[in-house]
Amino acid sequence: MSPDILAPLTIAAMAVVTYCTRIGGFLLLRNRSLSPRALAVLEAVPGCVLISVIAPRFVAGKPGELLALAITLLAAWRLPLLPTVLVSVVATGLLRHFM
Amino acid sequence: MSTGAEFRRGLRESLPVLIGFLPIALVLGAQATAKGFQSWQVPLMTGGNFAGGSEFVAVGLWAVPPDLLLIAAMTLLVNSRHLLMGAALAPLVRHLPARKIFPSLFVMCDESWAMGLADARKRGIFSLPYYLGTSAGMWTTWVLFTFIGAFFGPMIGDLSVFGFDMAFTAVFLVLLRGAWTSFKAARPWFVSLAVAAPTYLVLPGAWYVATGAISGLIAAFFLAEEK
Repeated sequence: MSPDILAPLTIAAMAVVTYCTRIGGFLLLRNRSLSPRALAVLEAVPGCVLISVIAPRFVAGKPGELLALAITLLAAWRLPLLPTVLVSVVATGLLRHFM
Repeated sequence: MSTGAEFRRGLRESLPVLIGFLPIALVLGAQATAKGFQSWQVPLMTGGNFAGGSEFVAVGLWAVPPDLLLIAAMTLLVNSRHLLMGAALAPLVRHLPARKIFPSLFVMCDESWAMGLADARKRGIFSLPYYLGTSAGMWTTWVLFTFIGAFFGPMIGDLSVFGFDMAFTAVFLVLLRGAWTSFKAARPWFVSLAVAAPTYLVLPGAWYVATGAISGLIAAFFLAEEK
């Protein structure tokens, strides 16, 4: 299929899937409760997905990239979103240039 | 109080949240076009999906052409927390007719859900127009500013030369920090990382996301203490 069609289709699929999650909990769980184990798994889901998506950064071959990641990690731990992004982008750009 | 007044109260009280949305929306929009989104496709995604975390994941995995099944599956995983949120909301809206509940759930995001529930706790009753007021401002702000980010992003040029591609990693790490409660609770994340990173090195494509996410969830299942 051509990308012209696949991109809008993917966007539509996202919208459908997400709406299903919004009404799904209401429909399925309104009259019962989840086990603590099921709750623990559901709570872990977003974090597991986020860390998996950025995992390649942790095994980047170049030392400059790894150092940039370490700086980003430190910033993310201490600062709000926007300063973190700024520190991270500047550090990455500089390290790429000089290392 | 009248419906209109309640709606306006929700809109007014959501203002600080809207200001917080601005930079995230701009970054998301700019990254989306850098990854190959057409600028008109960005508000389509952010308006129809309206769940920021999954949109950052989709942009991170985006290619031309995109892998529809992978992105749909990851959207489902990231947004599975909505199942819990909807379930928590259910007893408060049970008295309302379905024709009001189902459209209202379309705009349920972390922030509008939290505000609606906090207001209900304070006042003893869930106010649908208040919740819709908070949601309306959030939806409009999100769609508008992701589009502005998408529109002006390309004018800055090739972002990876300057390190702009790291912005997306930074956003994810801040989101993880926000979800962090304790090392114990975060153990499944480390399992995900320990599996996803080697998978990335040995397998082509985006398998590392699936293997990492699933092994983290298996770990969460076995690490959860029985009550």
